[in-house]
Amino acid sequence: MSRRRRIRAEATAAWHSFLRRKTAVFFTFFFPVILVVIFGALVRTQPTDGGLFAEPAAYYIPGYLATVVLFTPLSRVGSEIARHRDDNRFEKLATTPLTRTEWLIAHTLVNTVIIGLASLLILGLVLLLTDATIPISAELAMLVPFVVLAVILFCGFGALLGRLADSQDGVIAASNTIALPLLFLSDTFITLEQLPGWFGPLVELSPLTYFARGVRAITYAPAAGEPYLGNLLVLAGLAVVFLVAGAYAIPRTD
Amino acid sequence: MNEAVVATGVAKAYGETVALRGVDLSVAEGEVFGLIGPNGAGKTTLVRALTGTTPVEGDIAVFGNEPTAVDSDRVGLLPQSFSPPARLTARELIDYYGGLYATARETDAVLRDVGLAESADSWYETLSGGQQRRVCVGTALVNDPDLLFLDEPTTGIDPAGRRSLWELLESLAAGGTTVVLTSHSMTEVQRLSDRVGLLEDGQLVAVGTPADLIADHGGNSRLVIGTDTNTAGVSALEEAGFAAAAEPGKIVVDGVSPVEIGEAVDVLSTAGINYESLEWTEPSLEDVYLELTGETFEAAMGPSTPTESAPAASPEAEQ
Repeated sequence: MSRRRRIRAEATAAWHSFLRRKTAVFFTFFFPVILVVIFGALVRTQPTDGGLFAEPAAYYIPGYLATVVLFTPLSRVGSEIARHRDDNRFEKLATTPLTRTEWLIAHTLVNTVIIGLASLLILGLVLLLTDATIPISAELAMLVPFVVLAVILFCGFGALLGRLADSQDGVIAASNTIALPLLFLSDTFITLEQLPGWFGPLVELSPLTYFARGVRAITYAPAAGEPYLGNLLVLAGLAVVFLVAGAYAIPRTD
Repeated sequence: MNEAVVATGVAKAYGETVALRGVDLSVAEGEVFGLIGPNGAGKTTLVRALTGTTPVEGDIAVFGNEPTAVDSDRVGLLPQSFSPPARLTARELIDYYGGLYATARETDAVLRDVGLAESADSWYETLSGGQQRRVCVGTALVNDPDLLFLDEPTTGIDPAGRRSLWELLESLAAGGTTVVLTSHSMTEVQRLSDRVGLLEDGQLVAVGTPADLIADHGGNSRLVIGTDTNTAGVSALEEAGFAAAAEPGKIVVDGVSPVEIGEAVDVLSTAGINYESLEWTEPSLEDVYLELTGETFEAAMGPSTPTESAPAASPEAEQ
């Protein structure tokens, strides 16, 4: 009961803090929106014999969702840790019953809500602005665990970045440097066939790959029927690993 | 009386910079212990060591346990340079930190204690510096701790707010709360502390009650007489048995008790010496600080050249 009380207190404070930073709220949701508008509505997919965006619009839904499940937790959790460290908040928290794991769980919950809302926005915009269709079935509900597990995973990753970087600027720079290649080289926007053959094994190393393949199996009709549970299990395992590593990495004090 | 804190041989270095050099310290339950010392003396590092928020060499027991193993419901901390989330209201911040404990004091009561009942619904970032510090003090009180660590709690707080905070801390101490306090305000430490420890270059160079420290290291009371005829005045006073010295525009008489002031004035009157002012000062903790740290007021204030009209260093100057 006390654990729940502590997590609720931390999450409530984090949620209110986020909502009251208007530019943070705006750009958190504007970033995926502008991405869908540019690539989905302006550039448009052109199924020809090669190049970028040569697949049907629905193929890229995992990529659009990946932008929020990847960028948002990395930069938000990393920055939050840097901010906490600058303001001596961890020193204060170290003398309270709140554990580092509870702190990370609380901030992961907040990110889950934010990214869940952003994901719904993206799905709505893709359906509204492009000719994409999503197969309606009970399996669509499996999008929820995919998004939640990916958020947990990248919140843990963000905590690691926050520990390693020595400032908020450093966190932002590091998260962009890591997230951008992950975003494009994880079977999201660029198909494996468009990459050199030797690069294939590297794609398998990206946690985002399992998110993209699993989500595609649910949302992209030609991929429907492909097993997604394997991807979900890999994602779940990685989420646990990153959550534990991230919680351990959170600075206790100095 | 039981010891709330016992530290033995506490040492800490940050790379080649030594912050603490084998500090021994004990604080009894219910005691208010003040830590003073120059910037960089190791006060904050010692507070961190005692709260278990930085690893150190040596042995520390808080209520008989290692600092990291002590029941956190019993400890409250206000770190130095602490800033909570800026866009929460004072009330939300007290609620937030209270929510981290199994049981917490009523938020309104904490806000009243720190004098923020009327600003409770303002965002932290819109509060004045003093109000912000009071919110931070509130976050340290929210779990009704048995042991309270306050690292420069009144920095930035105006005189009225400071005095109300002192009264709050006095009431907590009267209720049995153990307080470890660091401050650069000697008035604050002298008023609040049962005992004071002076840290200098990572070492605890003096520990005692404020009265004992002043008696041992504070020097004598002084009578300063503002006069231009100081040479004749000094002679008259010396003939009467006073230890007087001439300084530009004044005579300084050392070791004058309050009952001797009238006698000194009579000596001056009898000798026909006019004077513009009389100022009697007794030694304070600030004199102890300056004596033991070897600092001077001028050095502490920086390289600017002091003038005769510069105000004397006195505890009241900090208020």
